[in-house]
Amino acid sequence: MKKIIYIYSALLFLVSCDTDEQYEQLNKDPNNPTEVQADALFTAATVSLFDALESTNVNNNIFRMVAQYWTETQYIDEANFDLQNRNIPQNFWSELYRDVLYDLKNAKEITTNSTEKAQIEVLEVYTWQILVDTFGNIPYSEALQGQDGPLPVYDDGATIYNDLLVRIDSALSNLSGSGFGSSDVIYSGDIAKWKKFANSLKLKLAVRIDNAALATAAAAGAFTSNAENAIIRYEGSTPNTNPLWVSLVQSGRNDFVPANTIVDELNALDDPRRTVFFDDNISPYKGGIYGDSNSYALFTHIGEPMLDPTFRGVLLDYAEVEFLMAKANIGSAEDHYKAGITASFEDWGVEGATDYLAKPEVAFSQDNLGKQFWIAMYNRGFEGWSVYRMFDGAIDFNLPADTGNPIPTRFTYPVNEQTLNNANYDAASSAIGGDKQTTKIFWDN
Amino acid sequence: MKGGAATALYGSRASNGAILITTKKGNKNLRGAGITISSSFLSGKADSETLPRYQKEYGSGYGPYGEAGPGNYFFNYDVDGNGTADELIVSLGDDASFGAAFDPNLNVYGWESTFPGLSTYKQARSYVAPNSVATDFLKNSLNLTNSIAFESGTDTGSFRFSYTNNNQIGILPNSEIKKNSFALRSSQKYFDKLTVAGGINFIQTKGTGRYGTGYDNRNPFQSFRQWWAVNVDILEQKRAFELDGKNRSWNTYTFDDNRPHYFDNPYWVRYNAYSSDERNQYVGNASLNYELNDDITILGRITFDSFDEIREERINVGSTDVAMYRLFDQNRSEINYDLIASFDKDINDDFNIEGTIGVNLRVNKRNLFIGETNGGLVAADLFNFDNSASPLTPDNTTNYDSTSKVDGKFIRASIGYKDTFFIEGSARQDRSSTLPLANNSYFYSSVAGTFLFSEVLDLSWLNFGKLRVNFANVGSDTEPYNVFNSYSVVAPFQGNASASNPSTFNNIALRAEITKDTEFGVELRLFKSLNIDFSVYDRLTDDLITPVSVSQASGASSVFLNNGSISNKGIEIVVSTKIIEKEDFNWGISVNYAKNTSLVKSLADGIDYLELASPQGGVSIGAKVGEPYGVIRGSDFTYLNGKRIITTTGYYKVSDASNLVIGDTNPEFTTGVKNRVHYKNFDLSFLIDIQKGGDIFSLDTYYGYATGIYDQSVGNNHLGNPLRDSLANGGGRLLDGVQADGSPNTVIGRADYYANALGYARAPKALHVYDGSFVKLRELSLSYRFPDSILSNTPIQNASIALNGRNLWIISKNIPYSDPEAGLSAGNVQGYQSGAYPAIKEFGATLNIKF
Repeated sequence: MKKIIYIYSALLFLVSCDTDEQYEQLNKDPNNPTEVQADALFTAATVSLFDALESTNVNNNIFRMVAQYWTETQYIDEANFDLQNRNIPQNFWSELYRDVLYDLKNAKEITTNSTEKAQIEVLEVYTWQILVDTFGNIPYSEALQGQDGPLPVYDDGATIYNDLLVRIDSALSNLSGSGFGSSDVIYSGDIAKWKKFANSLKLKLAVRIDNAALATAAAAGAFTSNAENAIIRYEGSTPNTNPLWVSLVQSGRNDFVPANTIVDELNALDDPRRTVFFDDNISPYKGGIYGDSNSYALFTHIGEPMLDPTFRGVLLDYAEVEFLMAKANIGSAEDHYKAGITASFEDWGVEGATDYLAKPEVAFSQDNLGKQFWIAMYNRGFEGWSVYRMFDGAIDFNLPADTGNPIPTRFTYPVNEQTLNNANYDAASSAIGGDKQTTKIFWDN
Repeated sequence: MKGGAATALYGSRASNGAILITTKKGNKNLRGAGITISSSFLSGKADSETLPRYQKEYGSGYGPYGEAGPGNYFFNYDVDGNGTADELIVSLGDDASFGAAFDPNLNVYGWESTFPGLSTYKQARSYVAPNSVATDFLKNSLNLTNSIAFESGTDTGSFRFSYTNNNQIGILPNSEIKKNSFALRSSQKYFDKLTVAGGINFIQTKGTGRYGTGYDNRNPFQSFRQWWAVNVDILEQKRAFELDGKNRSWNTYTFDDNRPHYFDNPYWVRYNAYSSDERNQYVGNASLNYELNDDITILGRITFDSFDEIREERINVGSTDVAMYRLFDQNRSEINYDLIASFDKDINDDFNIEGTIGVNLRVNKRNLFIGETNGGLVAADLFNFDNSASPLTPDNTTNYDSTSKVDGKFIRASIGYKDTFFIEGSARQDRSSTLPLANNSYFYSSVAGTFLFSEVLDLSWLNFGKLRVNFANVGSDTEPYNVFNSYSVVAPFQGNASASNPSTFNNIALRAEITKDTEFGVELRLFKSLNIDFSVYDRLTDDLITPVSVSQASGASSVFLNNGSISNKGIEIVVSTKIIEKEDFNWGISVNYAKNTSLVKSLADGIDYLELASPQGGVSIGAKVGEPYGVIRGSDFTYLNGKRIITTTGYYKVSDASNLVIGDTNPEFTTGVKNRVHYKNFDLSFLIDIQKGGDIFSLDTYYGYATGIYDQSVGNNHLGNPLRDSLANGGGRLLDGVQADGSPNTVIGRADYYANALGYARAPKALHVYDGSFVKLRELSLSYRFPDSILSNTPIQNASIALNGRNLWIISKNIPYSDPEAGLSAGNVQGYQSGAYPAIKEFGATLNIKF
């Protein structure tokens, strides 16, 4: 009997010979790396940033509608500014915070090269600016802490802008030598161009807040030609195509037509850029009624360049820089105005800029500055919307035909911020004057 | 098996109880040869109460957005080539039915006139409702089962072998599941002490065309319930496909561009965009049981359950969706090693002690490969990776391998006094490889008391009475790879390696979950005919390991946490009685009732809300502290003095907030009533199932009321005019409610286009939340046992034949056009329907013969 108890007890201990360390090893995923190079995160985050701005997927990016470059055909809620149904603010917010900013921050922690850190900083500042310009007050100082900060507090938009300007200056001073090379899909490691990009971004921030001194300082080092544009060259096959192609061509759907707002404007100016902005399926060009149901077959279609999977994505371009300098009255505003229009023609590969500039309807004025700036930003929905807000009243937008809803001046906060981060959300809402689509961003007056 | 007894032996997975399935082994007391044959068939048909009722008055369109014809719903094209584009074409590209009213005097060209291969090419026809409706797509289902079993038994051993073949044909074309199962089981006792036993089951399943349930073309109900043009004759779609297998869709672009727009021909989909699968499963055990002496037995046992499976999905070239081939190749196995000693000793005349002490090791393995083609397929009908239009990138493949181990030591003992009082306790210590090293071990225990009070109370009418109290803790671990963070490698861009942080962050400080269960039960048998089994429970799960949604400004969408505590309290009652009991005739009823109430008591620090799902439709299903687990949130109606507020355009005023509580997915209670009548050799039984409550959000009516496909969108309004007439002509819908100033609403709203008050974004989400209560006739069975007088001269020992019916009648329900039990998800997320499948009424027969 005793023998049996001894044997039994011995067997008991045989049960699992594995040590705790061996158990822990079983719990490490052999198929996904625990460490990566900063380059890999930098490339992925850069592509995600471009994708977020280029996309026209109705769940993520409706800026081309808000800027009234395009309108919808059959399903028209987005052109009527319904942001809730598809959780658009939430999708845009999560892509920028989670797929861009967090990875950039992580890349900055991994690399030891100060130039690489500066390149990352420039993209971070660019992304933060997009978020502030979209929502107003946003989580900034407590953001990006993962599970250590699951419910971050919201910071004041103007305060964030000031910090961004400090950060861009600091990045400028570190942009020297060499940093990310081939993994830099914007400039392939050309640091001189990064400096121009950083200055152009600084110019953009300064002009938003009407800071003439900073604007002038930045203008000195900003873009001087289209060759320096901050663009990405998409590839011919998924998943690296321009997201526009996915929505406009691969899906087989006909969800968008150019809006009458821009088509009518360009028809009145007899603008040669119509040949690339729009398709010539019908003549004369006829834009869909903004915010109405428009049968696809009966209206002008979107131009061919936008249907190419390799069509470039743009973060900041030379035309924008010239127009910003015109707005800031740096030197001759009229010269910058003309240079901006010329740059736009050149970028789109359209002839006839000189004749166009000679037209009386295109003569320099504050209103025309706003209008031409907006036209030059065609297909860059987010910028077009920002231009509309910067030049109050210069551009004649239509109220959406179906609902008559007012033009939004910001996006409402994501619904899941309401449910998950309720206390901070409430504080931010009252700080900005109410979480509504018609509340104005701090620089929009 | 419930409580401590279950968890001691079976560990964490038995925290909600364990169902022990005892399969047949050979019987030594066989009369006859020991061969059993069974054969059955069930034929099924969709229950029309759970299908859409389509309107038959208006054709395709979203509204008057055309260029020609009455009401401006049609388009022009020069069909006859005479130089004038004056023929009327229906809006081919619209997947909705808010088009022109049918008019037999109007000749139009529909989809069937745009395909050169069809005899209807360039033929106009009278614009009327078709003879078929979309759901005529469905066919009858058939379920055939045949099995044979061989068994034998002696005083020391037993043997059983069986084979079952099951063949199911579904309600969609080209859907079939075939199953072959073999089971072998045998045991033998030596020296009156040592029993060797073993068994193995091999189950092979092959499926073709399993039903798609997602929001895409593979689920025909997504179209039939949400996006459809009722002027389309579905049987004509069938003929157009069967002609030569081409994808001639009802939903194209224009007369001269007849490629499919949003939808393919639904028959083409069943044969060109279907899934197939094959799975081989092996379940078995081997054991040695040694009776040491009269009191002690030692059991050593290995049990295993493993399967390998391949699932393939395909979309052929020619679809409106991107062509693809997808392979899912998985192996899973679980092996348990047990060494258990049991003892059962009478200490004296009054006291008995029995129990078990043992160890268990459970090893789970899983490996998985998923691959999908990139950017489409090059050639048609060729489904493999060589045919991918673009090379595969890291975004197109997934490799997963995991092994997890849990080892446990347990003891359970029960002391009985005079066979009347029992007290039982158990304790178990588990160690899991899926928890962090510092916290990988967890201990749990239970104690239970039982009192057979019928032994003490000498009452003639009390045949059996037992009181049971049970307190148990169960610890539980989690899935592998939730502790350490890793990166995802994504598709390289311009040849540069790319990687990204995942959207769910893991947690190196995870702890085991603990569920605390308190249960009290009474079992009674009275008057030799009334059985009552009643139990009350209170279950609290603490430190629930789950990914918790956080503010995405943190850089993560969700984080693994030990998230708070959730309680489930409820009662379960089963009452059965014989109403009549005579020699030849008896009638018994059995009623069961269950009510469960869940409550989220707390969540992790600072977190208020656990989001379970935020599906399409703009609602959120989740749990807030202080609410039940599984509450639906969305926009709601607005009220003034209890009445709904209507806007100045005659629509419901939707709340500003979109996170109001609009439903609770949990039922209030479920109950079932089973009647059994026995007369001579006949047995009749029927089971009625009842559920009260359990809200459901329907994406089907959310879109379907905006596309005008249901009959709720037609008919006359309060003025006696067609709803779909223009407001100028006295049409429109008057909603019941008040204006903002409190006066009864008199404003009529438009009901003639997709943007009407009841559909999609115009209505509060609460309008599409339905009460899921139902009363269903679940089963009906009439069987006849052949009498011995007929069988006595045959080798047959037992024979019976039965007629069976399942889900024959939905006696009542609230959700329109649908089955309240159809839902998109099993598991934690309930209460959501999109492209729901109908309930199936089945009827058939079974024959059993035992030799």
